[in-house]
Amino acid sequence: MYSIWVNLPPEKPVASATLRRAVPGLSALSVPLPRPAGGVRPAPEDLHPALWRAWQMGRAAGAGAGVGQGAVPSGYADLDLQLPGGGWPARTLTELLLPQAGVGEMRLLAPALAALQGQGRGLMWFDPPAEPCAWALGELGVSVKQLVLVRSRQVLKTQAKTPARQRVGAVAPAADVLWALEHALKSGHLGAALAWLPARLPADALRRLQLAAQAHDGPVFLFRGEAERARPSPAPLRLLLNSAGPDALQVRLLKRRGPPPQQPLWLELPPVLSPAAFGRAMQLQADSASSASSAASSVAA
Amino acid sequence: MLWFAIHLPLLPLEAFCATLPPEQAARPVALLKDHVVAQVNAAAAERGLRPGIQRATALALAADLLLADSHASREAAALQGVVHAALAFTPGVTVHDAHTVLLEVQSSLRLFGGADALHRKLCAALQPLGHRASMAAAPTARGAALLAQWRPPRTDLLNGPHTTQLPALQALLWQAPVWLVGPGREHWDALQGMGLHTLADLHALPRSGLARRFGEGLLEELDQALGLQADPRRWVQLPQHFDARLELFARVDRTELILHGAQVLLARLVAWAQARQARVAAFTLRMLHERARDVPEPFTDLHVELAEPSLDPAHLQMLLRERLGRLALLAPTMDLLLRCRHVVAAPAPNGELFPTRASEAQGLARLLERLRARLGEDQVQRVVAVADHRPECASRSLPVDAPVPEGVCDAPVLPSTLQPDLPLLRPTWLLAEPLPLAAREWQPLMHGRPLDLLSGPERIETGWWDGNPVARDYYIAQDGSGALVWIYRHRLPVGTDQPVWFLQGLFA
Repeated sequence: MYSIWVNLPPEKPVASATLRRAVPGLSALSVPLPRPAGGVRPAPEDLHPALWRAWQMGRAAGAGAGVGQGAVPSGYADLDLQLPGGGWPARTLTELLLPQAGVGEMRLLAPALAALQGQGRGLMWFDPPAEPCAWALGELGVSVKQLVLVRSRQVLKTQAKTPARQRVGAVAPAADVLWALEHALKSGHLGAALAWLPARLPADALRRLQLAAQAHDGPVFLFRGEAERARPSPAPLRLLLNSAGPDALQVRLLKRRGPPPQQPLWLELPPVLSPAAFGRAMQLQADSASSASSAASSVAA
Repeated sequence: MLWFAIHLPLLPLEAFCATLPPEQAARPVALLKDHVVAQVNAAAAERGLRPGIQRATALALAADLLLADSHASREAAALQGVVHAALAFTPGVTVHDAHTVLLEVQSSLRLFGGADALHRKLCAALQPLGHRASMAAAPTARGAALLAQWRPPRTDLLNGPHTTQLPALQALLWQAPVWLVGPGREHWDALQGMGLHTLADLHALPRSGLARRFGEGLLEELDQALGLQADPRRWVQLPQHFDARLELFARVDRTELILHGAQVLLARLVAWAQARQARVAAFTLRMLHERARDVPEPFTDLHVELAEPSLDPAHLQMLLRERLGRLALLAPTMDLLLRCRHVVAAPAPNGELFPTRASEAQGLARLLERLRARLGEDQVQRVVAVADHRPECASRSLPVDAPVPEGVCDAPVLPSTLQPDLPLLRPTWLLAEPLPLAAREWQPLMHGRPLDLLSGPERIETGWWDGNPVARDYYIAQDGSGALVWIYRHRLPVGTDQPVWFLQGLFA
């Protein structure tokens, strides 16, 4: 899937010959390019789904291919408005950068994962940072019956304990999970893949994954550390997640197929705290803002 | 009756080359029989080697020649594979001699759509075994075998009139050279020296004299080939279990070289399973080690179980490759043994043009199998919910194929699923081992910063019946960045220097 930003002011017409050269797939279209006749000139975004102008929001990659629905609604209306295609994109990588596990990332993804499972499609999680709790997932609407965990780090740990059974060739630490993820994506039998990748990856690893993801009709979420923010990535959608107080999440879109957003998003997550506890948390926040007095006094209540 | 004969002229050479590592296969190879070169491969033929020359002459022509003796048991094992491949098409299969297999196919013609289609399918089934075969069809068993060995030029051995009419077969066989009849018998040299050229010459001689000089057997063979005498045969019985052995040419200490040898065995396994009309559910590759003092075990077993029984050689090979890639050999091996005890006798699932729900489930099963083969059986897991209040017991990750433990809830439904406004009870991430937290004046610390307790305590005091009693007070706390964590405090009296607070989970 190619994508090109036609960076022109909206009123300027685009010559179809230029477009043909720029987008190789266009010449293969069965419908001839409409010629500018009379005063009506076609907008480039009407010509092909992979075309949009820089000030416009990109469309879902899968929509042009005619396979699948292209994007999975995230379940958060505010976020869907900011995501190209109106949801988590299929057939491409989505990077979620976290300062640490447990900021609310699973509650963010749960509605989309539950919707995919509702269509009878399976989930595969690679190297989750801790044991997933079946009851909590059930509460979020994610069924553990259609969930497979793939772990690769324990292999290396057990091998390190027994040097006699070490592998013959030296294998990079991430090789197993990258191999497994690539094959899972290429198989095309998954609804969604979630992978917690190690910090140091070979340079071509993400590019390989991005290629493999084109066969996978569903979203791919890569969880990586916040430090990766400064490094380039081939993933077309990158988000930085941060905790924004109790039961709230701050989402900063670092990269998307569309204009860069100005403001970070503030999303309300499915609640963990009861209203009383939430009030206490708000009170604590206000207290710490006013004075750095003891927060422990409120514990007694 | 219609007989197919499969003659494998190069069987000894091919059986030997299968034991070579791939980098040696391009070398010139010659097989010796009684110190005389019997067969040469293409690389040796290019260097001018011909069957019949002396061993020293052969070595003078090609210094890097690989010489080996032909080995009857090795050839028999290779022929066994051909027999099994043939058994997939007809129950009437018999071994004619060391290099020829006969099939009675009259009753199979209709099922497979005629002799031509049957021949094509037979060739396709033989192809993975890697033998060069010449085939002939005839109404008599021995006639077919003679034609396949003779290979007369400019004759369609599979479709000519001789395949159905006995007179046509006889007319063809009259022109056959006389060396075809009874090679290996006692007076064969004398027969060659009599100045006879064709079977017609032989037939013209007085029968009583021939019988006196060469025995009754020669006349019997001739009559059987011509259809003048009955030729009863005993059919090969397919063994219930598959056992095949391959002795490698050189000691092997790399798993990829083992895989190369195992491919030959896998091709034979698939031929056997096809003859049984079953799919392979599990197989074992045994690698025998040389006897040595520092080798603790005489062999290494590699057991491969398939989630979905399969007959696809590529799939079996891929599974074996991934398993071999994880294996560390204790010692070099020279012998490979492949055995299969577990097959599933069921028709293969239909192939589908467009993906359906069933094909997707099958594809997923294959993917899981592949991941398990590479990463390990225990590394691909599913999550089950158990009706237990202790967090470490309530949710467990088990290997995908593990049996369901007791107390597993099929579909965990909690009040908050029914009423979405209710808060979540449990965190998404549970730590495998609760993490001890430091404390300062009864306030727990995480990463050196105090945690604010927001909700709790939720008391969990249970498990006294199975030896893991817990007595804990759980709190939901907020760390400095605003993320929510699940921590607990021991209620049982502990020593003063032991931690009291533990981190149990993260509300992700």
